[in-house]
Amino acid sequence: MNLPIRLSKSSREPIYHQIENQIKALIASGQLSTGDPLPSIRLLAKELEISSITIRRAYQNLEFGGFIQTSQGKGTFVAEVDADMKTTMANQAVEESIRKAISTARQHELSDIEIIHLVEALLKKEEN
Amino acid sequence: MTLPLTIRNVEKSIDDFKLKINELSFEEGTITAVIGTNGAGKSTFFKMMMNLVKQDSGDIDVFGKSVNGEDESWKQLVAYQAQTLIGCDPFTGEQLRKLMAELYPSWDEQLFRRFCEKLRIPLNKKVHKLSPGVRTKLNLALNIGKNTSLLILDEPTAAMDIPSRNDFLQFLLELMESGDKTILIASHQADDIKKLADYLVFIQNGEVTKMLEKDSLIFSYRLFWLKEEPPVSRIPGEIKRTYKKVILSNQPDKTLDYLTTHNLAIADEQIPTLEDIIHEVLMEGEMINV
Repeated sequence: MNLPIRLSKSSREPIYHQIENQIKALIASGQLSTGDPLPSIRLLAKELEISSITIRRAYQNLEFGGFIQTSQGKGTFVAEVDADMKTTMANQAVEESIRKAISTARQHELSDIEIIHLVEALLKKEEN
Repeated sequence: MTLPLTIRNVEKSIDDFKLKINELSFEEGTITAVIGTNGAGKSTFFKMMMNLVKQDSGDIDVFGKSVNGEDESWKQLVAYQAQTLIGCDPFTGEQLRKLMAELYPSWDEQLFRRFCEKLRIPLNKKVHKLSPGVRTKLNLALNIGKNTSLLILDEPTAAMDIPSRNDFLQFLLELMESGDKTILIASHQADDIKKLADYLVFIQNGEVTKMLEKDSLIFSYRLFWLKEEPPVSRIPGEIKRTYKKVILSNQPDKTLDYLTTHNLAIADEQIPTLEDIIHEVLMEGEMINV
C-alpha cells in the first residue's frame, strides 16, 4: 500500500521525524485505522527514495510511542490509539501547518496584524 | 556475528593505476552502492572481493574467511554479477541453470523461474544468440536464483529497458525482505541508488571512501537561495555559487550562522539532489566530511 507521505526538501526537520509525524497525522485523521498494514521498511525506503536506516528509525520511534506494532513474519500494523491521543495529535498537526504558513508569511514580510486579517478573511470565505 | 564482508588496508596497483581501501565493513541486511566515474576501479574492487584479481596487500574476508585462503567454501555464499557473461556463449539458459543449481546449495528454483517469466527470458536459446540486454537479464536471473547471502552486482541495470529495470528492483527488494541478505551494487543510475541504497561508497582518485549513510550525506549539504548577492566571494561552508545568489554549502549550520549574523535574508533553502552531490564528489573532488 502507498502511504500519502510527502517529504519536504526545504524543511530543516530530520527526515525520520517528518515520516513519524506524517504517519501520526494519518492515524489521527483516521486515514489509517487500527490494524491497517504499513508498507515494509524496504518498500517505503524505495518509494520515498531514502535509506532503510531512516525508515527503521521512524518505525522504531512510532512503535515505542505505541502507534504501530510489528509482529514477526507478519509485518507492521497500526496499533490501537485512544481518542484523547488522536485529538492531541490532530492539534499538533494543525499547529505544525499554521507554523509553516506563518513562516511563509514572514518570508513575504507580513506583520502579525496582516496575518490575522488574512486568516479571518479566509475563515469568513469558508463560512459562505 | 560474522560480517558478510570486511576489507582492511587493501592496495592494488595495475600499471600506473592504484586502488586503495582503508577499512570497510558491510553489515547484514544492507544495500551499499559503489559510485565512481568510468575507469575509477569499481570492477577491480569487485574482482578483488571474488579473488579474481589478487590485492598487493591487505585483507578481504567474506563471512570471516579470507578470500585468498585455501578454503573456498565462501564462494557458495556469494553471487557475483560481472558486467559481461563470460564463457557461456555455447550454452542455453536451461543448461546454465542446471549448473548453478548444482553449484549453489541455496539455489531457489521457484525464484529463478518467476524472475525469468516476469522478464521474459528465453531459456532454450544459446547465450550467443541473445541480445546484450537479454544476456544481462539472464545473467541476473542466474545470480538472483543463487539466493546467496551476499550479492555483488556490477552495473546490473546498464543495458536494461525501463519495465525490466522496475521488475528487477522489485525482485531485489523482495530478496531483502528476509533481512539476512547483503547487496553491493555498482551503478551509474542515480535512480537505482536513490531507490535501493542505504550506504554509499565513493571511489575518488583511486581511493575508496568510508561508508556513508545516504540520508546523512544528503542532509550534510544544503542549498540556500539568498535575496541578495553576499558581499564576500566565499562565505563559511560555501562550496559552490550559481546565479550569484545560490549557495551550496557543506556546512549548513556554519553557513546559516553567518547569514543570520550578517543579516543576509534567505529566500528559500533546500537539500540538494543526490545527483548534485555525486557530481560535486566525483567531478569537483568535494571532500566528504560526514
